[in-house]
Formats: sequence, structure tokens, C-alpha cells
Amino acid sequence: MNITTLSFAAFVVIVIAGFRLLPARFRNTWLFVACLGFLATWAWQFVGILLVIGTVNYFLGRWIGEAREGRKRILWIGIAFDVFTLLIFKYSDFYIPELTAFLARIGVEKGGEGIRLLMPIGLSFTTVQLISYLADIHNRILLPEKGWLKFILYVLYFPKLISGPIERARIFLPKLDHPQPLSAESIARNFTLIVIGLTRKLLFANMLNALIPSAAFVQPLTYSAQMLLTWLLAYAFVIYNDFAGYTSIARGVSGFLGIELTSNFNTPYFSRSIAEFWERWHISLSNWLRDYIFFPLSRRLRKKFPHPNHVINFILPPLVTMLVSGMWHGLSVSLLLWGGLHGAYLIAERIPTLWAPKVLMDERPKWQQVVATLFTFSLVLLAWIPFRMDLVAAKHYLAGLIIPSRWVRMEFLWMSEVFKGHLPVGDVYGWNIPDPRVFLVLLPAILLDWVQYHHKDELIFLKWPRWARAALLAFVTLGLFLVSFADSAAPFVYQGF
Amino acid sequence: MGYTLLQAFAFFVVFIALLEGIARTSLISNLLPYNSLGNWHYQFDIKWFRLKQYVANNGGVDVIILGNSEVNTGFDPDVVTQIYYEKTGLRLRIFNFGVDGLTIAPNSVTAKLLVEEYHPALLVFVTEMRDYDAANGLDTQGMFLSDPWVQYRMGGFNLTGWIVDHSLALQHYLPYRNWMRSDFPNAFAAFLQTSHETSLAGYAPDYGVMSTASVSKPNASADNPYFDSSQPYLVDPSRLECLRAILDLARDNGPQIVVVEMPVHPVFFDYAGGETVHKAFQEKMAETVQAGGGTFLPAIDEVTIPLQGRANLTHLNWRGAPILSAYLGEQLAALTNQEGMMFVNEQNGDSQP
Repeated sequence: MNITTLSFAAFVVIVIAGFRLLPARFRNTWLFVACLGFLATWAWQFVGILLVIGTVNYFLGRWIGEAREGRKRILWIGIAFDVFTLLIFKYSDFYIPELTAFLARIGVEKGGEGIRLLMPIGLSFTTVQLISYLADIHNRILLPEKGWLKFILYVLYFPKLISGPIERARIFLPKLDHPQPLSAESIARNFTLIVIGLTRKLLFANMLNALIPSAAFVQPLTYSAQMLLTWLLAYAFVIYNDFAGYTSIARGVSGFLGIELTSNFNTPYFSRSIAEFWERWHISLSNWLRDYIFFPLSRRLRKKFPHPNHVINFILPPLVTMLVSGMWHGLSVSLLLWGGLHGAYLIAERIPTLWAPKVLMDERPKWQQVVATLFTFSLVLLAWIPFRMDLVAAKHYLAGLIIPSRWVRMEFLWMSEVFKGHLPVGDVYGWNIPDPRVFLVLLPAILLDWVQYHHKDELIFLKWPRWARAALLAFVTLGLFLVSFADSAAPFVYQGF
Repeated sequence: MGYTLLQAFAFFVVFIALLEGIARTSLISNLLPYNSLGNWHYQFDIKWFRLKQYVANNGGVDVIILGNSEVNTGFDPDVVTQIYYEKTGLRLRIFNFGVDGLTIAPNSVTAKLLVEEYHPALLVFVTEMRDYDAANGLDTQGMFLSDPWVQYRMGGFNLTGWIVDHSLALQHYLPYRNWMRSDFPNAFAAFLQTSHETSLAGYAPDYGVMSTASVSKPNASADNPYFDSSQPYLVDPSRLECLRAILDLARDNGPQIVVVEMPVHPVFFDYAGGETVHKAFQEKMAETVQAGGGTFLPAIDEVTIPLQGRANLTHLNWRGAPILSAYLGEQLAALTNQEGMMFVNEQNGDSQP
């Protein structure tokens, strides 16, 4: 069940109504049933798989909590189980062909194909949550959850199931016991989050995604540099608005259930450094990587190399953290390159601190902040190239952007002749003119972020006069209504992770 | 929050009312001359609104020629009108509603929509063997029949279909509904081209000429691009039901139905199994049409339409279309003169004598 569909809206209304009307002691059971129902709409097999994974971690958590010795060993068993499960399902493309061939050799036809079909939705998100749960119990900052139902709800909670946010058990589980009551303020807040999410996903992400020709990321050298740059820009806003839109909807829906979810994005493209970017982009994953990869690794290395500026301390933690981030997104060389690039950016950014104390961005002149924002955005943009396409295409895309001869003349004369009716249209990409429609969609998308960034408030709209809020809502509704007649809809980009 | 929602709803209604009001002015009709019902098959939209315009210009329509692309390029209504006039002294208002790729299942639905909307006196349905091949045109059929507006008009109420049917503003917007798709400029150019090539009476001439090399018999069943090559040609019973549905439209003061077989090139029949199979098909058609109260006109002799008059095995070009159109005019005139069948529509205005 896609969360931008009317069937999901109907499902949510029923779940919220049941949750709010039932006595408190039945609410978690009701949520559990709703989560199973939601999961089953994707594939009934997911229910069984995630229940098994969740139950194993539930017992592992209790085992770590109750063990007097060997806690670390049990933690590693748990981590190995979760990572192995993820590898089995997520990276099945690597071994299924061999497995299928092997099964065929021993007489089992099509034996390997089922595994691909059974890959549960959002498993990457579930895995990191479960690892943090076990690690927190091991580090004695969390007691193992005694109630199976409550723990399973942490695993299966439907608003965050598909694409996060990645919640910590120690923050999430208490919320299940004490969901916030609905108030006029919370209703307005959650409703606004959902509208912003739908706007980001359906009006910005889907539209920009549809404007990028499918060949652009496969055979980039077919197009001129200015067109490639336009589509890269479009893609940057596709992936951002797609994911941020999803999170916003998830947070709004969860808010109606009285369970506040972590904010995952904070106008990341206005970041003035890569370090700041990772404080604003996919925040729940960044925090997870910081707490469970970066800090433990840094601590361990500092024991061996005590000087903070030792080359190992300087390079390894950010690089390894970002490589893990790349691997989490998918096991491919290009995603590793994406992670490696961000790791390299983070290292490079810290180099000046070796000989001069760091000057906070807020204390620098405004023009420097603007330049830093543009520079950071350019670096992020560059890194999206290997994130989006395989290594060969990424190489061609980069070449298509940086080779001067690829910046070819724009054929305005040709275009004007077509408009005058003197020439047939032919292929408009031959004009080498960046698609103005991309900028038509980018403009409101940037404006939304700018308003949120400028006011340091993602829900600034709630402070507008009522008529302005109403007019904006009506306008957005009209936009969504008109867009609904288009013939295409892109899936959530992050759903695949 | 409640007041904000109420106010937003009021704003929304005002926006919609404003857009609808503006859409009904001549200014918008001039600025945005194209309309659409949101149908996946844009040529259907072109034909539907071209017919609407035709009816507005001529006070009604007497004859609608229905079928697939073979009809679109094969019948010039002006020639049919002229020949019929010469033979009977009556001038018919004829529209060509041939739409590419539509087989008999979607066309039986289109026939119903056209009869309900425009009440023609005569519906000429042009058909050939592939219409009754169970495997032919299934994708197009599925896409066409699942269209919300088509479903709505066929009695399956849905909000989208209702809105599209009633909102002129939306009909003006829908040709541009895919403006955010990367292929829109090229797709819209194709839409404009098709629209410009289609005459006011719905005819779109084909300027291709069939090469003599095309007139070669198939070497093997695998070379057969026309029929389901895995089995001998059979008339599919469910598709025959669609023909009966078209014939049933004649009931309760509906239009008269004439079923015309498209004169495809004789080599085409080799793909179906040869002339024997074709003859059996013609007999089945004649029997079904007669039982349904219609008139069946088998294909004219292939010699009548020279090779230069064909665009390919199944389609006629700008040279062949007038020949076939003249034949239809003559046949209709014969039905009027010999059997007293009248095709002038009295429900929506008189034809010019």
C-alpha cells in the first residue's frame, strides 16, 4: 500500500479512529493488527519474516540484558544475525543466479527465485534499529523490553516501516505507553506535515523525476553538458523531496496516533559544510552512524593512537563511517564511491583545523556563508552522480559535465523556426536547451525550503494568517488534483533501500 | 483547524469556479484550441472533439464510419457524400471515426458512445479478420476500456470520469496533463501533427506507398506479424459478441447498421490460412450481420484498388481511399435507391438536399 494513495488515507483514518476510540489497554494490540495488515498489503510473506526477525532480536535483547558474562559475545551474535539476514535478502542479486543454477543442477527447478520475492520492505531500516537496540542494552543505556507485543510494534510500526525514520528503542518504546492526546494544535501540526509531505512527494519529486529522460542516466554522453547539469540538479531535488516528503507524511500520520517520530531532514541543501549537511540530511541515519560506527571506532583508535590529529584518527573514522553508509544503501561500487566521496569531503573539511582553530560558520561574513552553501551544494551534487548510476555511466556523466566541448551552443534559432511553423518539431533534445520545465518545478521546491530555512521552522505556515494558510492549502490541493491526471507515478526512491 | 479547512475548501471551490468560468469563454477556446477526455489514446480524443465540432458546424451527423486505422486513412467522407449525392440527390453528413489500433471490443463501446451522443441514422462499421482474432490488440483494448471517462459513459460511475465529462476547464487542461513528463514535447508534437492531418470530417490521408516487395507470401508462421501464429485462424466467440452488440444498437429506433469488410491486400489472407479461410470468415460475417438485422458488404475485388493505392497490406493511401470511398458511396446509394433505406438523420437537423 503506497502511502500517497487514497487507500492508505482510508486505512490511516480507520487506524486512528480505532486507536483513539479503544480503551488504552487495547491500543497496542490494535496497532499491531494494523501493522500486520499494512505489511500484508505489500506481501503476506513479509509478516512472517519480520515477526521471526523481531522475535529473535526480542530474545537476544533479553539474553544480553540478563547475562552476567559474555554479553559482548551475545551482542555480536545478534549483530551477525541481523546483518546476515539483511545480506540474505538485500543482496540476493549477487547469489541467486548461482543458487538457482545449483538448485537446477540438483533437480530443483526455480528453487532460488522465491528468496528474491520475499525480501521484506524496509529491511535496511529495521536492521539498523535492531542493532542499535541490542547495542544500547549491551551498553546499559536501555533495559530489554519485556513485552513482546510492544517490542514487535517497535519493529513493525507502520508509519516508519518502509523508509524510517530510524528510531531508537529507548526513545520510541516509552511513547507507546503514553501516546500524546490529540489537541487542536497537534491536529494542525500533523495535518500540515502530511500536506507538506504530499507536496514534496507528488508535486516536486514525482514531477521532477518524470522530467528526466530515462536515457540521461544510462547514456549521458547523448546529451550536452548544460542539459546533464539541469537533470543532475533535478535529481538532487527528486531524491531529497521524495524522501523528505515520505518522512513528513510518516511523521504526520504517526503524530495523529500520538507518537512523535524523529525529524529526518532540515533543509539540507542550505548547509554550509559537508559536516553540517550530514546534520541536516537523513538525520536519523546520520545519528545512528555517528553513535554506532563513528564514535566507537574513534574511541577504539584513540586507545591505540592517542593524538587526536594522528593520521589514522583523522582519516579512518569519517571514511569508514561514510563507506558503511554507502554499503547500507546498496552493495555496489558506485554506492561505495558515493560514501567514499562524502568521507573524503569530511576529511578535507577538517584539514584547516590542523593549523588554525575552527571559525564557526555563523561567525563568518554573510558572503562567505553563501559561497560555502553553494560550494557544499556543488560537492553534494557531484556525489549524487555515483549514487544514481553505475560506475561506467557515472564516469560518462562526469565527463559529459567537465569536458569543455560538451558545453555546446543552444539552438534557439532552430527552436524559434519550429515555433513559427517553418520546421517540424523533431527531437527537442537536439536544441541543447536546458528544459525550462525543470526550473518551473525547482522554483517552488527551493522556495519551500527557503521559507523553512529562513524562519528556522518547518511548520512556519501555521503562523501565517488563516486566510493565507487556507489559500495555500486550496492551491496545493488544486495542484495535486491536476497532477493526478498525469499518466505516470514514480515509486519512492528510498523504498528500495 | 476546522475553520482553516472550511476556508480552504471555499477557496478551492472559488478557484474551480473561476477556472470553469474562464474555460467557457471564447478567449480560452481560442488560446487553447485542443480538448481531451484524458484518454490514453489521444487520437480518440482528437476524433471525439472533431466530431463535436463537425456536429456544431453542420447541425448534426447522418453517418459515422467506425473502425481502426484502416478506416482512418481509408475513407474520405467528402467523397462518400459526393458519390451518394450524385446517385440519390441527397447530401449526407458523414464523419470518419477510425481510430488507430482499436479492435472490435473497444469499437463496440465506442459505437455505443457515439450513438448515445450523436444519434446518427447510419453506423458503418468497417471490419476485417484480425478483429476476431482473440490475441489481437489486447493491450490497446485494456488501456482503452479502463479509461475512467469511458467507464463513466458506459454506466460505471466514477468521480474522475464524472469530473472529466462535466468540466470544460479540465478538458482544456487534459491535452497538457503530461507536461511534466520528459517525453511530453515530442508526444505533444505528435498529437498536434495528428490533429492537423485529420480533416474536419475525420479523414487522415496516408501518403505512404506500398512497395512491391511487401507483396510476398509469408515464409513461415513465425514471420506472421498479423495473427496469432500458434493456431489456425478462428473467429473468437467473445469478439463475435461485440459485433452483435454493435448490431443491437439498431434496436429501439437506433441507427441502421452496415458492416463493411475492409479490402486488405489478398496476400494478407495467406497469413490467416488462405482464401478458403477468408471465404469462411465472410460467410460467418454475412450470417451474423443478417441475423442481427444489419447489412454486410464484403470487400471489393482486390483489382479495384491498385498497389499504388495502398500504403501497406492493410491500409490504403491517398490514392486508394477515394476508390474505396466511392465504392461505399455507391453501395449506400444502392441501398437507398433499391431497398429504400434512408440515412438522413431527422433527429439532429435535416441534411441539405
